[in-house]
Amino acid sequence: MRPGAFASITILLALPAFAERPFAATYDAARHVTLKGAVTRIDWANPRAFLFMDVRDASGLITNWAVDFGNPLELERSGWKRSSLKIGDLVTVEAVPAIGDHRVAFANSVMLVGGRKLFVVQGKARATAVAQPVPRWPDGQVRLGPPPGKKGYWATTSSQLVDSAGGPISMDGDGLLANISDAARVAPFLPWAKAVYEYRQRTRLKDDPLARCVPPGGPRQFQTPNGFQFVEQRDLGRILILLGGGDRNWRVIYTDGRPQGEPDEVVRSYYGNSVGRWEKDTLVADSIGFNEHFWFAKGGLPHTEALHLVERFTRSDFGTLKYEVTVNDPRTYTRPWKALWTMDWVPDQEIQEYFCEENAESTFVR
Amino acid sequence: MSLSILPLLAQQGHPLTGTWTGDWGTTPTQRTAITLVMNWDGKNVGGIINPGPDSTPIASVFVDYATWTVRIEADAKDASGKAVHISAEGKLDDLGSYHRTLKGTWQQGTARGDFRLTRD
Repeated sequence: MRPGAFASITILLALPAFAERPFAATYDAARHVTLKGAVTRIDWANPRAFLFMDVRDASGLITNWAVDFGNPLELERSGWKRSSLKIGDLVTVEAVPAIGDHRVAFANSVMLVGGRKLFVVQGKARATAVAQPVPRWPDGQVRLGPPPGKKGYWATTSSQLVDSAGGPISMDGDGLLANISDAARVAPFLPWAKAVYEYRQRTRLKDDPLARCVPPGGPRQFQTPNGFQFVEQRDLGRILILLGGGDRNWRVIYTDGRPQGEPDEVVRSYYGNSVGRWEKDTLVADSIGFNEHFWFAKGGLPHTEALHLVERFTRSDFGTLKYEVTVNDPRTYTRPWKALWTMDWVPDQEIQEYFCEENAESTFVR
Repeated sequence: MSLSILPLLAQQGHPLTGTWTGDWGTTPTQRTAITLVMNWDGKNVGGIINPGPDSTPIASVFVDYATWTVRIEADAKDASGKAVHISAEGKLDDLGSYHRTLKGTWQQGTARGDFRLTRD
């Protein structure tokens, strides 16, 4: 092999969109493995793209490894194609192995052996919205979607849902605290809730229902990859939120003036019973009736059926949506608390097909 | 090898909330089936033992959240209608699992044994 005869495809690890299983619950970031061998299969499917490769160990034994190299939609945005790798290609993979002795790893880089050129794929930032006025309906009401005849959706950018009174808290993209002693600042927990939250943190989010493709209700719907969009059905008095992540669900916010339901009568659901109203340019959604089958934020924040959310969506300019949520669950928290972040408009693009279930678990049965 | 698969609809709220089934007894072979239904109301865990016409209300539940040790007190009646106190103390395991377990000691009147409950 001639020096330099490598084609290198570098995968960015900076912010892997780990839909839907938390990275820390799967991989052991403290370890590293180098794998060399031939590609035997490519599984270009959601939520994770995998290549499978035969690797010969020091004793000569050949074992087949599954190498996770990211979410296909994110990879495509970074310039990858399904055809970037072919079965039979010889590759060298630098990777983080899975926890335990599973022959599964997450790739930091994949190098094709024998290629003629060296190239590095850089992470491609999403297109950003050009500064322009906030789009409005003929009656002057802010549009939460694109202007007429245009496309676009909102990118979900936050990994943190923390009490704004608690100050900055260091956590990773899955909501894992850098320091478990910061737990008390994340939210005003009742003792049982703090203990549950700390348990989930210490067990590295291994029981996260989203990893089993359970719908991401509450603010978590805005923490999954692949964005979301509003569909304002003004004639029907409702706004749909179509999610690009999770289970590709939708949520309904009724804006027809109906009152909120009685908490004891509402049928419990993942997205709750949401009624909305406009306060000038802000959509205010009031939601109750959540079931207890999901985690309503990354990081394992608990809740009960008493959860009551008030969300405020403000399109402060064409490309920015301010999101503020007040969490009130007196069976879980000592007081109502508030969190906020912003989301970015992705112009001229559409949410692509994405389903959680395709290979969320099967690849790990090895 | 495989990773364990949890049921999709695991209850993720207060870990004691729900229906628990199992048994207690003074020996491994002399067992009595029991069902506990517990609920967290924001201040206390309450509930009943063996729901139905002969159910027993749970008088108190104490939880040590540092160790997930649970102590349950109740006042039942035996077959003759005589009051009998129940005191159970156990440890909650598999906290993140739908089928989490509660195991420990069970005293009913003068009889003392062990119990094991699994959340349905």
